[in-house]
Amino acid sequence: MLNFLDVYERALKGPIMSEEEFDIKVFIPRLNEVVKRYGIHYNKENPVPSDDMAADNLFEAAVDFMSQVGVYCQDTYRIIQFSREEILEVLREAPGRCFAGEGKEACVFGMRRPDEKKRPWFHVGSGIVATSEEMATNLIEAYGSISEANSISISALESIRGIPAMAGSPAEFYAAIRGIKIGREALRRAGRPGLPIMNLISTAAAAITTIAASAPQFGLRTTDGWLCGALSEMKIDFGALNKVAYLHSWGANVGAETAPVLGGYCGGPAGTAVVSTAYILMGLLVQKGNYQLSFPVHFKNGCSINRDVLWVVSTSCQAASRNIPMPVIWLGYMASGPNTKTYFYEAAAHLLCAVTSGAPAVQTPHPFKAVKIDGITPMEAKFGVEMGKAACQLNREEANALVIKLLEKYESQIETAPDGNRYQECYDVVTGKPGESYVRLYHEIKEELAEMGIPFE
Amino acid sequence: MSKKQFMKNIVISIIDGDQDKIQESARDALKANIDPLEVVELGLSKGMAIVGESFEQGESFLPELLMAAATFNAAMEILMPEIEAQNKEIPKAGTVLIGTVKGDVHNLGKNIVSMVLKTNGFSVVDIGVDVPSLNFIEEARKVKADVIALSSLMTTTMPSQKEIIEILEEKNLRNEYFVIVGGGPVSQQWADEIGADGFGKTAVDAVDLIKRLLSQRD
Repeated sequence: MLNFLDVYERALKGPIMSEEEFDIKVFIPRLNEVVKRYGIHYNKENPVPSDDMAADNLFEAAVDFMSQVGVYCQDTYRIIQFSREEILEVLREAPGRCFAGEGKEACVFGMRRPDEKKRPWFHVGSGIVATSEEMATNLIEAYGSISEANSISISALESIRGIPAMAGSPAEFYAAIRGIKIGREALRRAGRPGLPIMNLISTAAAAITTIAASAPQFGLRTTDGWLCGALSEMKIDFGALNKVAYLHSWGANVGAETAPVLGGYCGGPAGTAVVSTAYILMGLLVQKGNYQLSFPVHFKNGCSINRDVLWVVSTSCQAASRNIPMPVIWLGYMASGPNTKTYFYEAAAHLLCAVTSGAPAVQTPHPFKAVKIDGITPMEAKFGVEMGKAACQLNREEANALVIKLLEKYESQIETAPDGNRYQECYDVVTGKPGESYVRLYHEIKEELAEMGIPFE
Repeated sequence: MSKKQFMKNIVISIIDGDQDKIQESARDALKANIDPLEVVELGLSKGMAIVGESFEQGESFLPELLMAAATFNAAMEILMPEIEAQNKEIPKAGTVLIGTVKGDVHNLGKNIVSMVLKTNGFSVVDIGVDVPSLNFIEEARKVKADVIALSSLMTTTMPSQKEIIEILEEKNLRNEYFVIVGGGPVSQQWADEIGADGFGKTAVDAVDLIKRLLSQRD
């Protein structure tokens, strides 16, 4: 099997072309051909389809697409190519599991199938930026206190000693280390010091900062998880490859991070579904990841809860869960923020869609596109876990009916969705407890959703 | 063939993204002594406007925009030598320098804005991603930009947008350019806070904003 250095060598020897040529002469025409040849069609009436044959057909289309297109390396201007045989070999040999966590929290993060009743792995929290260390500590402690949480996503810090943590700067390095220390301390306070942090390193935008702050003396372990991102679409750069080289040399968990954009180079939903599935092949082939974080979004609003994006999530999740041994965390970006009704409708729709489509793991959905500083609270994480547990009691057909009802409640408001409250506006910063009105809203929504047929425990 | 039919063929080729056919039509138009500037205005630009409108309505996506732009360029390969030979110039709506700020390698949003600007007749100079702050200013001067458009997809790279405005102020160049900001975490509040001239939530917003700013100057 190809090792990582073999892959890098292909980045030095593959066909050379400009990025624009790759987009226009390779990526777009090949994608259009594959969509046509395999007859991939978006059906807006069924955001969560229940067709196993269609899922397998999408997988075949993704293999075909990957073998024809490959992955463009921005630093060498060359295409890293893989033959169909090499792709199938990687699929045969992939373990389909990831070992994460320490001590009593040590766990195996494995696969699930569509309609499977087994609970998904719960990746709890968000990399949203927090303005203060107190707030970040409260958030992570609360995430760790959710007993079903299997892994944690920690907040990024926006500054250190008042100096903005600009990407690639010394301030970013200090903030990254501080963020890790806060994460570990907060999890200790929650009584779960062994929980894996699997969105590393949230404060570090620059690869050099990630590598430097990952030195074990700053608190990270190989059983945590690092995200090494692809670029839109089917591209990678030396920053991500350098991180992969470092992490593989250390034996750490590598998470391939991919976010296909509907309406961007992928075109419409059919093309985006092919690329979303192909990205999971890329995670195994290029990043040599042992887990993946996938979050398809819409190009206009950066959300994962538009009807067509939900269809992409469902179909590519089904194609991957049935055919690709890669534990994927499916994450949704919501249009609405904390302490709003629509947040809960959107999160419920995304989780129903992903969990019944066989998501091995779900991350508790990000409020308000994850762009509002302090715009997250533990309440959304609590809801995400309860909703995920309820969703795995349902099958795709049942989920489809519920998602359609939920879309009726929020679909027309996506463009004007409310940004909601910041943590300090609906939580007590000192005690870390939620305000009464948010607790009341939470219970009201759960009752409403239960009446719709969502089987909360 | 009538002039109207020539123009119709050009428009259809842009919409279809047919580069071979548009080059053939452009050659035929020149042979028929049609003014190349008219071909640009009534054929190419009209086709681009239709594709742009379809994109704005969510009926087509970035691939259609890219193919239309490539087809536009293919036609210009034929028309431009004749335009230059006639000592004519293509009127431009304005020059926009666009790039993603230092530390940020995301390019999709920037590329979409670039494409939509081009379909609206702007001259766009794209200086890529992870661009050092000073480079924006040097390039803006070189290309005589009207507008500097700064993209940032990450909260941690947004301070570079602020830095560029501060450098412009320090160099007494702030009034030379309109500076607009965009990207996932960017908001109107942030634009106001750092003294930008505006914020575009979507590509279409960015184009409207630039048109509004330039009309104020005129």
